[in-house]
Amino acid sequence: MLLLANIKKELLLLSRDRAGLLVLFVMPMLLVLVLSLVQDDIFRATGEAASRALFANLDRGTLGEALGDALEQSGDIELVRQIDEVPLNADSARRAVFNGDYQFAIVIPEQFSSNITAAAEATVQASIRNETNRLHGSQMVVYFDPIVRGVYRTSVMNALQRGVSGLEFAEKGKALGHLMPEAFQRRLDEEFAAYGEPSPELDLPEISDAWARQALIQLEEESAYPPTYTTVPTSVQQNVPAWTLFGMFFIVLPLAGTLIRERQEGTLLRLMTMQVGNLSLLLGKVLAHMFICLVQFGLMLAVGMFLLPLLGTPVLELGSAPFALLLVATSAALAACGYGIVVGVLARSYEQVSTFGAVSVVIAAALGGVMVPVYMMPRAMQNLSVVSPLGWGLNAFLDIFVRGGNLASVLPRVVALGSFFLLCMLFAVLAFRRWRRGG
Amino acid sequence: MMHATTTSALSIKGLVKVYPRSDRPALDGLTLDVARGSIFGLLGPNGAGKTTAISVLCTLLRPTEGSVTVLGHDVIRQAGAVRRSIGLVPQDIALYPSLTARENLRYFARILRVSRRNLEARVADCLEYVGLSDCADRRIGTYSGGMKRRANLAVGILHEPEILFLDEPTVGIDAQSRNLIMEQLRKLNRAGMTLVYTTHYMEEAHQLCDDIAIVDMGKVMARGEPSELVRDADDCENLKDLFLALTGKHLRD
Repeated sequence: MLLLANIKKELLLLSRDRAGLLVLFVMPMLLVLVLSLVQDDIFRATGEAASRALFANLDRGTLGEALGDALEQSGDIELVRQIDEVPLNADSARRAVFNGDYQFAIVIPEQFSSNITAAAEATVQASIRNETNRLHGSQMVVYFDPIVRGVYRTSVMNALQRGVSGLEFAEKGKALGHLMPEAFQRRLDEEFAAYGEPSPELDLPEISDAWARQALIQLEEESAYPPTYTTVPTSVQQNVPAWTLFGMFFIVLPLAGTLIRERQEGTLLRLMTMQVGNLSLLLGKVLAHMFICLVQFGLMLAVGMFLLPLLGTPVLELGSAPFALLLVATSAALAACGYGIVVGVLARSYEQVSTFGAVSVVIAAALGGVMVPVYMMPRAMQNLSVVSPLGWGLNAFLDIFVRGGNLASVLPRVVALGSFFLLCMLFAVLAFRRWRRGG
Repeated sequence: MMHATTTSALSIKGLVKVYPRSDRPALDGLTLDVARGSIFGLLGPNGAGKTTAISVLCTLLRPTEGSVTVLGHDVIRQAGAVRRSIGLVPQDIALYPSLTARENLRYFARILRVSRRNLEARVADCLEYVGLSDCADRRIGTYSGGMKRRANLAVGILHEPEILFLDEPTVGIDAQSRNLIMEQLRKLNRAGMTLVYTTHYMEEAHQLCDDIAIVDMGKVMARGEPSELVRDADDCENLKDLFLALTGKHLRD
């Protein structure tokens, strides 16, 4: 009965604090909305969709255009060949990158085709004669915006390297196609000349260059998870659970704040003179705030499923384990509320709560992969990330949303979150008892 | 109301309380015995140890030394029994400002284990008792100082405690509210409730209390019936003169 009275009182207090409710529901919703949209673009840039690059083709031959076509066909780079309907040149491309309008510009020089053709022939010729080729091919410049991170540079350079290699093979194949028969004929002329006989005219077939273009090894990308579930990890799949957890853990502020306010107003002191147990008081707060966390969670899922797609993002897929999802959400909410109670019991002012509580949640979120996926972190930080309850929660959500996880696969993380909650409660009750005894 | 067999409401023997990191005791061998059914005034300047004594009696603080019993129950070993039989009206308005008076009283009534059957009636009675029935459904935050003090008193008497501790219950309120509170306290006392009362208002203490102790530096400086104490003291016309004579005129902050 006392626990119910405490839960009811907490919910009543929360319902009267409209500004607080606004923060609790609107802030995480905005976080999910804005960050999913912002990071949707980053997800696309890091491989899900083509990177955009300026393409200034000054080549007088056909190879520059052939390279451009090959890059576009690869799907890795989307080429922009003109700005404001004016074809690009080296200066305008460089300026556009310098101004930050574009992140990359590829400039194909005027003699690109002729230089490559000459270099390919020279290379093949030198090989046939067993000599060293001293003729270098063409240079091609790629301008980068200096703020562009390594991962994007690598992605663009790899795509470019693949395009250039294909072109080189094709040109070398072409050179081989007509230089090889010439070499045969020359050798035949020399052999017959030794006997004073004219050599026969060989009708050797010209070797097609198609062989150079044909790939011998096909790389196939396949998820390591069972083929029964085929959800592709998108920005929404990563961001909605990540920022929802972040929002849920911000319950620390209002929850710890209620304890501080009760101390300041004297209500806690009054309660201490009554026959109410420490656990009942603290658990009442935890359960009321856990309810708020679960409402938050439901709201954020609705944002991911219905609102974000209206703004152009993929739909949030919830997986096929609703009970496991509810269990993860509940254990994450309990962990967040347990932490809030500990902060509330230990803090002596609202300033301490708002500073320590907020900063510690941001750190735990960063470590847990909310802001940057854990696999992208340096090794040392990846090792540290295992201590973050937000990381446990996020992994469990991703397990269900993306990897086709079920109750069995998320259970270890649910147990970890539950244990974290129990540990927090134990610590909070002990600290609270000490405070109640005037320690 | 429950009645224990002991005749003393409170029995304090050699009570010492030293706060952590403090170089002097807040209570220094305080010894008091308060009879059941009395209105006992605990008077003293700021820092004299009144609130500390009330806190020990209400099981909020553990004494450093000495023994304290409330209605025969030890405040440390039988804290639960003590809590069941006492009510506290603290110096602060210890209510939730965003809840209405009725919601506050309902919540505390449930915590005080007022039976579900009687809860609404008891809440209504207490609101009536302090003259807040008409505005019971207004939030405490919108109340005047006097109304808040009256609501604060209402929570203290919800479970009809045998002893009611009142820590400066009339600070900073209008004459009407003070008058109502004083009248209702007399009624409660007539119904058998023991009142332990701290105040800075000497005239109020003189009118209300039938037994007072003036404490300073954690010790009892004078003890007895207010009129007798004034009569027995030299050059003192009233309780205020006696108070200043015993505790000095230097400022206490």
